[in-house]
Amino acid sequence: MARVFNWQLGREMSYWYPESRPKRQFAAVFDINKCIACQTCTLACKTTWTSGKGQEYMLWNNVESKPYGCYPLAWDLKLMEMLDGQNWEGRRYDGRTLFESAPAGERVNGWRPESQDYAYPNVGEDDCTGQVDKGASLMTPHMNWFFYLARICNHCTYPACLSSCARGSIYKRPEDGIVLVDQQRCRGYQDCVKGCPYKKIFFNPMTGTSEKCIACYPKVEQGVQPQCFENCIGKIRLGGWISRPEQARADNPIDYLVHIRKIALPLFPQFGLEPNVYYIPPINVPPAYLTQMFGPGVEQAVAAYKSAATDKDLAGLLCLFGSTERIVTRWSRQGDIVTGTEENGSVVMRVPLNEPVHVRPAYDRLYQIARVNCP
Amino acid sequence: MKLISYSLLAAGMLITAGCSREPKRVNEVVAIPAAAIPSAPGDSVWDRAPEHAAKLLLQDLVEPRLMEPSTTEVRVRAVRTPSQIAFRLDWNDATLDEMAKPGMFVDGCAIQLPKANNGQAPDPQMGQQGQTVEITFWRADWQAAVNGRAPTKIQDFYPNATIDHYPSEAKSLEPGSAKQKEMERLYSPARALGNLRSGPRESAVEEMIAEGPGTLSRAAASNNSKGNGTRTKTGWQVVISRAAPQGLAPRQRSQIAFAVWEGSHKEVGARKMRTGWIPLLLEESPK
Ligand code: SF4
Ligand code: SF4
Repeated sequence: MARVFNWQLGREMSYWYPESRPKRQFAAVFDINKCIACQTCTLACKTTWTSGKGQEYMLWNNVESKPYGCYPLAWDLKLMEMLDGQNWEGRRYDGRTLFESAPAGERVNGWRPESQDYAYPNVGEDDCTGQVDKGASLMTPHMNWFFYLARICNHCTYPACLSSCARGSIYKRPEDGIVLVDQQRCRGYQDCVKGCPYKKIFFNPMTGTSEKCIACYPKVEQGVQPQCFENCIGKIRLGGWISRPEQARADNPIDYLVHIRKIALPLFPQFGLEPNVYYIPPINVPPAYLTQMFGPGVEQAVAAYKSAATDKDLAGLLCLFGSTERIVTRWSRQGDIVTGTEENGSVVMRVPLNEPVHVRPAYDRLYQIARVNCP
Repeated sequence: MKLISYSLLAAGMLITAGCSREPKRVNEVVAIPAAAIPSAPGDSVWDRAPEHAAKLLLQDLVEPRLMEPSTTEVRVRAVRTPSQIAFRLDWNDATLDEMAKPGMFVDGCAIQLPKANNGQAPDPQMGQQGQTVEITFWRADWQAAVNGRAPTKIQDFYPNATIDHYPSEAKSLEPGSAKQKEMERLYSPARALGNLRSGPRESAVEEMIAEGPGTLSRAAASNNSKGNGTRTKTGWQVVISRAAPQGLAPRQRSQIAFAVWEGSHKEVGARKMRTGWIPLLLEESPK
């Protein structure tokens, strides 16, 4: 094993291969507070990439209701049990990662889902809300809260799928950090499925090979965000490029949210993969739970997010989410207008901090008709 | 009268089959000459061949390793013609595993020979750089496909699944038409790229070469490998045949190694039971 630096852990760690960062790294910020679990993202991906035979059960993008929902079954609970003592000393992770806790004979500390584990996406996940007039149908030991967690492959800096594959069939593209399975080389050993803690790589029993989220690379190569971003109804997603912390640029939207304002955090950083999808944590959830899921920066992130009401820069950048299908590499705010620019310098969108408000009376006197709010 | 003699004859045959002579045991793999290469594991020519019981070891040298042993031995017999050689591998396996699914693996076996017989044996673990090994790999799911099993479908692992639409079976596409076939190919990425692992399968074996762990790849030139496996009461009997070892004359020795995968024990890839090199002797035809 080599020694590599994982900034999310604030320390070096062991990894199967030496550190080799791509020229630039595809990354995303998801604002959990805005997700409505409409699953449009899931379907956008499904219809684009996984409608073939053998892919029926695969959801490269899924949205699960936390804390009880999971796909595959108990993916995160199993890992919480497998990783002992996940302690942070300030911003430094003191516990062992999935690479450092790999049992003898294994490259990664992982577990293997079976068909049954994929059989219940979103079945009964929202039961804790119950029927209000009859009380909650599921009694929990704590107050009822939940949130929707949208998940795709994290195109990790230290992918466990890649390091689990003894054949070297998985590669991380040097040009954009997107992690792909070579469909010509894969022989279906499923070690990647076992190794990826996020369970975002799947075995196709009809082709006998593993398949995974490709970050819609044909779109990204054209400067366009992936399908699940472009189609997101809640406008919770922003795709772009992340720099290393010491090279963070305030005018790069992802850098600003992750490195400068620190309001977006990685999912289970303690696994050690340096995942590149960052989440703005939900503000209604107890910090202890969120800390386990997103690391020690949670309370600061939530406080910063709440300050957006009075912080025009932050509010302005949050307005960028879902406002264009193009990948915005630079942004700026002039007064109440936020501008997004793409790689070649052309302005791709301008949004006002406050959308003009129009109030339409419920009863239209001119046409003598009552308006309803459905489309 | 005639009836009686027939039944006596049949009884006599049964007895001979039932008490087929205990094979001669040898401490290397000895390929006896035969008029033709038998393809069936039950062919009577195998009764003449001596048997080598190869002890199987854990693959515990490279990650991922197999940490708990499963199959302990594989019994091997070999026959040859001037151009071909065949091996019958016989091992115990209580469970039939012939369909790969998420988290489920298949039974399999493989033979490995050095590409060149120049007295220098490559590393027995998949060869080494510059010293290629040739591998013929048999799998139970491929055998099932060759035996006529219908292609895997979603209901094989989710019996109640219903699918409303496959783009490759859209109403606008005439079944079996070139356009429909092209759509099928597009929606099966590994197959579209010609990954042999993805079928369609015409043979129960695959010809591979390697120059060390992790380098297993498709052999550029065929060595005419064939395979045929059947389930026995106690496990598997698999015949693997291929071209005779290059440059090896009768009475000379090469090496051979074997591997066995037990699907229900989650064995796949490097997680396998294997042997080291075992001497392989080409026995001379009787003068
Ligand atoms: S489309 Fe957007 S809002 Fe809808 S479930 Fe997906 S991430 Fe959430
Ligand atoms: S999330 Fe999983 S599949 Fe995606 S790069 Fe990371 S380890 Fe690989």
